[in-house]
Amino acid sequence: MIDRLKDWLLAIAGGVLLALMIEYNSLLAKHTTPYIASWVAHGMGAIVALALVFLTMMLLSRKQIKNNVTNTSKLPLWFYMGGIPGAFTVVLAAIAINGSLSLSEAIALMLVGQIIFGMISDHFGLFLVLKRRIVLKDFLVVTCVLAGSAMIIFGR
Amino acid sequence: MILFIFLALLNGMLIGSSRAINGQLSAKIGPFKASLWNHIIGFLFLTLILVIMGQWQVDNPSEIPFSAYLGGFFGALFVAVSSYVFPRLGAMNAAILVISGQMISAVFIDWQNTGSIPSLLRCLGVIVVLLGIYISRLPSTPKNKEVAND
Repeated sequence: MIDRLKDWLLAIAGGVLLALMIEYNSLLAKHTTPYIASWVAHGMGAIVALALVFLTMMLLSRKQIKNNVTNTSKLPLWFYMGGIPGAFTVVLAAIAINGSLSLSEAIALMLVGQIIFGMISDHFGLFLVLKRRIVLKDFLVVTCVLAGSAMIIFGR
Repeated sequence: MILFIFLALLNGMLIGSSRAINGQLSAKIGPFKASLWNHIIGFLFLTLILVIMGQWQVDNPSEIPFSAYLGGFFGALFVAVSSYVFPRLGAMNAAILVISGQMISAVFIDWQNTGSIPSLLRCLGVIVVLLGIYISRLPSTPKNKEVAND
């Protein structure tokens, strides 16, 4: 239970990091274009992630690293391709906002899309995610989070 | 209009699939390496798009403030954290919690930026989001079981 609480808090902290990321990336986009901003951010992110990989390798003892090594040659190629839908997001968001949607509307709809994906993914076990039954309580949670988010997005 | 609504919804699903895939990779090789792959592949993909579009020119690059480059730093950390929790919490719960953290901190970031207190509707929104998280923490079935046993 404590371990689970740790995951929950980490996920919320992830959301905080995401908000900070979007804040600075939109500042960069204001000075450039959405594409160039995301391109620069991905490049910087790669450098930072590389530094983090080296840092964790130095901090972990050799023995732990040996135990952690899995046979990566067996991993399917799509395991490495998460960056493509992630980067394509920038393209679609730019198209939607250049179209008839306002920024707030686009953000709100993207949140809905994320949650729909989460529910479908849990239900069918997409991308080898563990299958989990969607219960009535989940709909209550989704309603609260989406309604609250809409109030935050449109309540400026 | 309908097309753009569909595109924005589809975009949310793409975000979800990106996190799901990174989550699988993270479970195999660790969150920081997963974040590294995400950024390298995303960088190459965007390079390709920029080459196709041929739009490299930036007006007054010297006027860009240093802080504008901090996004990559938070992005690298974010992808590592979200990849780590994704397979552990499941896709829906991970999405719900990340969105909650994101929305609530957006209120604080705007507060910091504008210096004016958030509107009543926004404060209410924060409370409703927190209520949602609270409900998701409640045990889901035991009460029904008791009723059924009576």
